[in-house]
Amino acid sequence: MSPPSHLPALYQELQRSFESRPCNLQNCGQLLAKLKIGLIEAGLLVPQPNSKLEDLVVARDILEIGAICSIRAQDVPSFDRYFSQLQTFYNDFSSVLPPSQREYPIRGLNLIRLLTQNRIADFHTTLESLPLPADEISSNPYISHPVNLERRLMEGSYSKVWHAREEAPIEEYKFFVDSLMGTIRNEIASCEETAYETLPLKDAATLLFFSSQSELVKFAQEREWQIDVVGGTITFAKKGEERVEIPKEKLILADLAYARELEQIV
Amino acid sequence: MTDVEMKTEDKAQDKAQDKTKEEPKPVPVSPAAEIKSNVALIERAVATLEPRFTMRVLRTLTSLRKRLNDAVLREAVEEVYPKDSSIKKSLLSWLPAATSADHSMDIDGAPASSKPTSDPVPEVEIYLRLLILHHFLSSQSTYGKAMELAQDTVAKMQALNRRSMDPIGAKVWYAVERTYELAGELADARPMFLAAQRTSSLRHDDETQASLINRLLRSYLQYSLYDQADKLVSKTTFPASASNSQFARYHYYLGRIKVVQLNYTAAHTNLQQAIRRAPPAKVAPGFYQAVHKLSVVVELLMGDIPERSLFRHPVLEKALSAYYDIVTAVRTGSLSQFQTTLSKHAALFEADKTYTLIGRLRQNVIKTGIRRLSLSYSRISLRDICVKLHLDSEEDAEYIVGKAIRDGVIDGRIVHEKGWMECGGQKGGYGPEVAEVFQRRIGYCLELHNQSVKAMRYPLNAHRKELAAAEGAREREKELAKQVQEGGGDLDDDDSPLGEGF
Repeated sequence: MSPPSHLPALYQELQRSFESRPCNLQNCGQLLAKLKIGLIEAGLLVPQPNSKLEDLVVARDILEIGAICSIRAQDVPSFDRYFSQLQTFYNDFSSVLPPSQREYPIRGLNLIRLLTQNRIADFHTTLESLPLPADEISSNPYISHPVNLERRLMEGSYSKVWHAREEAPIEEYKFFVDSLMGTIRNEIASCEETAYETLPLKDAATLLFFSSQSELVKFAQEREWQIDVVGGTITFAKKGEERVEIPKEKLILADLAYARELEQIV
Repeated sequence: MTDVEMKTEDKAQDKAQDKTKEEPKPVPVSPAAEIKSNVALIERAVATLEPRFTMRVLRTLTSLRKRLNDAVLREAVEEVYPKDSSIKKSLLSWLPAATSADHSMDIDGAPASSKPTSDPVPEVEIYLRLLILHHFLSSQSTYGKAMELAQDTVAKMQALNRRSMDPIGAKVWYAVERTYELAGELADARPMFLAAQRTSSLRHDDETQASLINRLLRSYLQYSLYDQADKLVSKTTFPASASNSQFARYHYYLGRIKVVQLNYTAAHTNLQQAIRRAPPAKVAPGFYQAVHKLSVVVELLMGDIPERSLFRHPVLEKALSAYYDIVTAVRTGSLSQFQTTLSKHAALFEADKTYTLIGRLRQNVIKTGIRRLSLSYSRISLRDICVKLHLDSEEDAEYIVGKAIRDGVIDGRIVHEKGWMECGGQKGGYGPEVAEVFQRRIGYCLELHNQSVKAMRYPLNAHRKELAAAEGAREREKELAKQVQEGGGDLDDDDSPLGEGF
């Protein structure tokens, strides 16, 4: 099937409105919806092995623009959909199609998305299946950024993650890094609860990257911390020492099981 | 043990036959003769419906594989099949035409041995094809032919569709996969494997199914398609009756999938299983090394330090030397040493596909470092931690220590105002965890016992003999009783207390 005649025109229009600064998101969204219908009609949305190369490249381009636009529109589920469609192009047609410039930025964005959603296992699975030799992972800026973020998160060097916002290789990464901050704050808070008994308000604000006291107070109330306004300290409620109890039922069950097994053996 | 003895006995018999039938051969039994005796075993297996004999044949495959050559295969085919058999011709067409030297050998051997009059069972043909395929795979020049033969054999096998062929079929699939892999076209073979896997699972062909699941997993992992591999594992059940070697492979692949997904405990269990089920280290050193490489990394990722003796094992010593360096770095908790080791052996780790996994160890290095500090100091300033662990800033150190406390790596707390970490005392080493570990081990032992009881084989009708013996004993007893009764009163005195006792 050959693509419908109006597709090329729409595609060019999409490219124009995507590249114009500032990018016209609304226009892009409308064009993308039309183009996707066009792609389905042409049988290109899910690529077939017998499709023409040029058509596939165009289809991939449209999807890539779609993915980036959905990040700009802060629509993560939509990015997710675009990415799964792009995966066929990236993985199964990589030997046929010329490599795309946007491939690694988009793959990197996907990695960060997994990181913000705290899907660490998926993050690593995706990372392992990247078609890159290991030394390129650290040299490719789009990939090394999420990889470094993950490493720092796991180590606990949260301040580095905080400062990493400036290192983002392309603008779109910042959207995710910002939403990552919420996750990090909660991580830090839970660390503080166990690691400290009391903490001065001022230091707590720096540790949690809050710029104003009022934000901190609101956050502290959410986590039910006791704030001593006069002394300017936060006291963390100690969880009661967990009492070590003998798991009676479990032990009895285990002993009975041993007895039964021994009976069978002897 | 008994099996091994049986095998050597067989070989001894073969040798004896060889010597009487043909001209004296050198001491090790000739491969052609071994093939012939194997063919006889396969026929017996098909006739008696006992897959055991086929299994015995397949066990010799590894050692036989190394001694194959064109002449041997020709000789075997010539002798197994009658003169004008069509199968013989098709088999021989795969082998290069015999040189004159081979011919003379054929002629020498031929008149002495009795020529078979009819075609042997089709299983034999597949077995011979398997051998030829393995022979092709041993040299690079014949890969192309191997591919043709593999495709032809698969088609043939599927057309024949005989249950008694299943064990051989499983091995054929292995050879087929190897062919595709060596040709670098493993991805293309996947649809074929998937289709065959479905068929075999419908036919309850456990051995083939196990083999094919492993083939598929291997091909997925080869291309780092962990998602697909994981889905395959979750959608299939690995047949419980599969052979040990298949299980070992399966567990190894599972371990690899699990470790990528950060599920280290599960990965560790799987790798342990793989090690336990694997053939002895000397027999299959490659597999043994591969599993141990991964298992060392997994153990490190879990926060354990592998045993030192592992690295002195004769088979592993050389292969694991780079991993030993990593272990030392992790154990001392030195980040800088870890980084230099990692970059020094990067190429090796990448070849082993463990590079990214080892990269994940970074956080463990830090954790071990903090743990060591917390054990040796009761109070230490964040600055000192920073210096000792080569961290970038005190700020980092504070977060890192905080995280370590929350994750339960160390027991202690931070005093922010004074800028130090106070370490709590060590917990006693005795608690419910000990009971749990004990229970796990006992559980394993009991499981092992039960499995080995299940694995014993009970020959059919063997109890008849015992019954007959019991019958005889009863007869004798009756007779004895009769004699005692007849035999007289003088025994009565001695007998009576005993009789009451009964």
